[in-house]
Amino acid sequence: MPKTNNGGAGSGTDSGDDVTPDRDTRWQQVAKRLYDPDQDDALTSVIVFAIADAEGVAPTEVDAPTLYNVVDVAAIEGALFGARPDGTARETTGSVEFRYAEYLVEVNSGGWVRVCEPTDPEPR
Amino acid sequence: MSEESTGEDDGNVAVSVRATGDRSLPRKILEFDHVYEALAHRRRRYVCYSLLEDAQQSLTELATDVAAWENDVPEGAVTHRQHERAYVSLYHTHIPKLVALGVVSFDAASETVMPAANAEQVTAALIGAGAALDSQQNANGETNAEN
Repeated sequence: MPKTNNGGAGSGTDSGDDVTPDRDTRWQQVAKRLYDPDQDDALTSVIVFAIADAEGVAPTEVDAPTLYNVVDVAAIEGALFGARPDGTARETTGSVEFRYAEYLVEVNSGGWVRVCEPTDPEPR
Repeated sequence: MSEESTGEDDGNVAVSVRATGDRSLPRKILEFDHVYEALAHRRRRYVCYSLLEDAQQSLTELATDVAAWENDVPEGAVTHRQHERAYVSLYHTHIPKLVALGVVSFDAASETVMPAANAEQVTAALIGAGAALDSQQNANGETNAEN
């Protein structure tokens, strides 16, 4: 199993050089939820609810670490869903991924929040 | 106070900045980043506002209050899901941010929110904003409150 560095991985950038420490890890999606920027449901809540789905617990039981300690959710929200100053939507296409505990969380500009967990490496 | 209602020129928000030649505000207030950041989100504003009434609150009470306020229902009518959403966003984003800004402290064991060193500046700013809006409304004779 790969070592998790306790949520300190920050957000990944999709540059050519992979910044995630475990490039060879295979990830399997275990939960996903849709975030709708027009609804009153904060992105933080959608992410935590998706992690709760993955863990099979109530959202209020997802308690450590706090998302605040792992990633700036407001920055993700602004980057992927932020409107122009005149209120019109940008045509953003992209995604942000970050580690939360043992999970890899991906948020894409379509609003999908996916939670993946590592699978055991296949024998070679 | 002349309260003559001018015709409805909606959309034309009548915010006038009057130069009075009297700049009595200390420049220091421009540097209170922590105050502006604390107040930059509506849920954090609510938390700061609630500090004016109760010095110490449980996170679950606070979540109920926030959900009641946002959904415009009495506290008793807040649904489980509304409460959960408010609780999660306070716990994972807004309370940690207010802790980092020195506005509140949070006891994880009892899940209690208490004012911290910068709380007074922030609540003073809220009170100041309220007073400024009041006097502006009186001066304009009508309110442009939106949102």
